[in-house]
Amino acid sequence: MKLKILPTHLRQKKRYLAFQAISEIPLERDDVISLILGASGDLYGAYGTSKIGLWVVKFWKHPSSENNMVIGIIRCNRDETNSARAVISTITRFKGKRVVFQTLGISGTIKGAITNFIKLKTADD
Amino acid sequence: MALHAQKLGYNGTALVLKFKDYKDKSAIIKDVQNIRNHFQHDSPFQIKVGLEIQARNPTDLKKQVRKFRDKVDVILVHGGDLKINRAATEEPRIDILCHPYRNRYDSGINHVLAVKAAENKVSIEINLKYFLLTRPNQRYRVLNQFRQIVKLQRKYKFPVIITSDADSVYDLRHPHDIIALASCFGMTNDEAIRSLSSVPLDIIDKNEIRRQIILPGVRLVNDEGQGS
Repeated sequence: MKLKILPTHLRQKKRYLAFQAISEIPLERDDVISLILGASGDLYGAYGTSKIGLWVVKFWKHPSSENNMVIGIIRCNRDETNSARAVISTITRFKGKRVVFQTLGISGTIKGAITNFIKLKTADD
Repeated sequence: MALHAQKLGYNGTALVLKFKDYKDKSAIIKDVQNIRNHFQHDSPFQIKVGLEIQARNPTDLKKQVRKFRDKVDVILVHGGDLKINRAATEEPRIDILCHPYRNRYDSGINHVLAVKAAENKVSIEINLKYFLLTRPNQRYRVLNQFRQIVKLQRKYKFPVIITSDADSVYDLRHPHDIIALASCFGMTNDEAIRSLSSVPLDIIDKNEIRRQIILPGVRLVNDEGQGS
């Protein structure tokens, strides 16, 4: 049986970071997750990572660009947005090739992040 | 790359040349002019030319500074060696001392250099590329060095500048990301914003009026300038 979801006042408060990543080789969603969690482990260790609560929520390939550009949304805890930003900007390499992550903006909802920062047609699915 | 930087919300960049590239400066400047034409004329994006001096010893450093001071907008010094660090902080004609902590275990500056840097308004650089491209198991060392610089800066009030040292789009970060990174080595938000915006602006402003300055505190004013 599935657990009943927590009442709203007991849930963890979240923030959604919209990001874009440019890389020399194509990135998949699993790669992004492992990159972010690895970087977080390097920068803050297991203790810090548990507090930030990072997860990749949404992920798209940018359709119109010659670079391998991907965009997506990362979830983190509300109080740790600054450290989440620091984590994703420390990512520099993926399989020996260069990669860069840049945040586009922070929003309180996924919908807000999509409409304000992502601005893609795929937003409705 | 400059286009990308503007998209991220920067107002200008400094193009820094190594000494060995200096000979084909005219070609580079032509490129820069081309890029400039891409922007609209009313856009505030600026490109300045800087030179990173790699000196072997303090006398060599002085010689090169004298040679290039009037030719480029910003003068940087390739630090790391203790003697060079010391000579650079004592020279008011130098704008930025780059990575004094390079290949060292300590930060490369102490209270003596900090006082000198504050007197002569030499900015100490915090190089993000150096931090980001260091292997993760070595990063604690770099963070420690930065933290030491920030600690000295709070006491002696020398300017600290955060630079990207980018040579491709892969080194550029959003300004807010840089502020978040700066909090990793103990900078507050205000300090990080200051070292990203007003310190570089001060350097540019200072260099624009540098030719008119005869002595510290004395400035030559044109007659036309006075009239207007």
